[in-house]
Amino acid sequence: MASEQTGLVKKQKIDLRITTPRGVKFVEEADLIIMRCIDGDLGVMPGHALITTVLGDGIFRIYNDGVERKLAVFGGIAEIGDNTVNIFSTIAQRPEEIDRERAEMDRREAEATLLEESEEHQIRKLQVLLRHSLIRIEVSSHLEEAEYFKYEGEEEDEES
Amino acid sequence: MSSMKEIKQRIANVSSTEQIIKAMDIVASTKLQRARAQLEGVRPIYYELKRLVAEVGDQEEAKTHVFYGEREVRNSLYIVLTSDRGFSGGYNAGILTKALAHMNQGKKESILAVGAKGYEYLRKQGKNIIRKIIDLPDTQVYYGTESIAKWVIDLYQSGEVEEVFVAYTHFENVLSYVPSVERVLPVVTNIGTRTESHRKYEPTLATYIDHLIPIYLHMNLFRAFSESHTSEQAARMVSMDAAGKNAEEMIEELTRMYNRKRQAVITQELSEIVGSTNILNKGGRHDS
Repeated sequence: MASEQTGLVKKQKIDLRITTPRGVKFVEEADLIIMRCIDGDLGVMPGHALITTVLGDGIFRIYNDGVERKLAVFGGIAEIGDNTVNIFSTIAQRPEEIDRERAEMDRREAEATLLEESEEHQIRKLQVLLRHSLIRIEVSSHLEEAEYFKYEGEEEDEES
Repeated sequence: MSSMKEIKQRIANVSSTEQIIKAMDIVASTKLQRARAQLEGVRPIYYELKRLVAEVGDQEEAKTHVFYGEREVRNSLYIVLTSDRGFSGGYNAGILTKALAHMNQGKKESILAVGAKGYEYLRKQGKNIIRKIIDLPDTQVYYGTESIAKWVIDLYQSGEVEEVFVAYTHFENVLSYVPSVERVLPVVTNIGTRTESHRKYEPTLATYIDHLIPIYLHMNLFRAFSESHTSEQAARMVSMDAAGKNAEEMIEELTRMYNRKRQAVITQELSEIVGSTNILNKGGRHDS
């Protein structure tokens, strides 16, 4: 099976589909996807084994024809089939959807409060906020690549 | 028989009611549009997650997991979704009847009542309401259901309830919505449609389930809320439509009655004039 596949790999692509509570948000082809799972990064290429796994908070990288794109994905489930990747996540943001100012503000707030607050629960909440804002900042700093995300007939979708 | 003045008063009353009805109709139809968009957004992820959850149930290992394994049931939790306001036809009555019929099974039930209508009704029925959620704004539904999902899982894991049902109104189209009660925990798996798969679950099946179920439950509740909300708006729109038509008919009827009355008064006045003229004329003849 593996030897059969190697010959096909070149023209094969992964069909990526991201579903959020606002509908099927993202349908794309990709050569390589790197996603952050709860136990580390996972890279997926065409012909991957059947795996279902849990996503963590992190940057979702999509490589297609040598171009890298980034999404901010917070939690969810990834279902990896032979040549398909289905992502079910509550939040998946494109760079242009991210409110950079708000993310920066969140970061400053979280960092400032972390210095003084000591309550365990509070700290955990702030760490999450800080991590989310850092991811958003990282993803949105690649805004110049945003034009790749615009294709025709795409409905405007906001997630905040 | 009512006087002309009374009829006129009634026409004025009915027309002002008609205006309120029309306004409510418009509000409901705008809200319906928004609710439908939200519902259509959440349905795909819900159905997909439901499929994933059912697939996991096929695994031997999963059957012993707390979210899957069937336990002896002593306490059930019902989440009953109703509206906060009335004027929605048989919407609330439908779901409450369905939920009550489902409850009478000899088990002890606790209820999370969502919506003022359901809360009032179930309270009068003497049901054990452990939590109520009233006047949840539309914008808070998403995060609201997330915290409800957490609360439900805590309750379930602590063993206070052994099964969880959600009673909601399934939206099919503007004219048809079906009240239904579904079990959410333990998860319903469709045994029989089992497909042998070589799928692996990472990092472990137990961890996967622990992460999958909260998302699934959140999406399930969010969808149920959206379904109910959409049905409510549709029901309100339809009943306001009917009420508007009734009001129109009533105004027409009253106007006709008013006109007839006015005509009768005029006729009576005329005949009085004619009659008195006749008498006067007769008197003249007698004189001659």
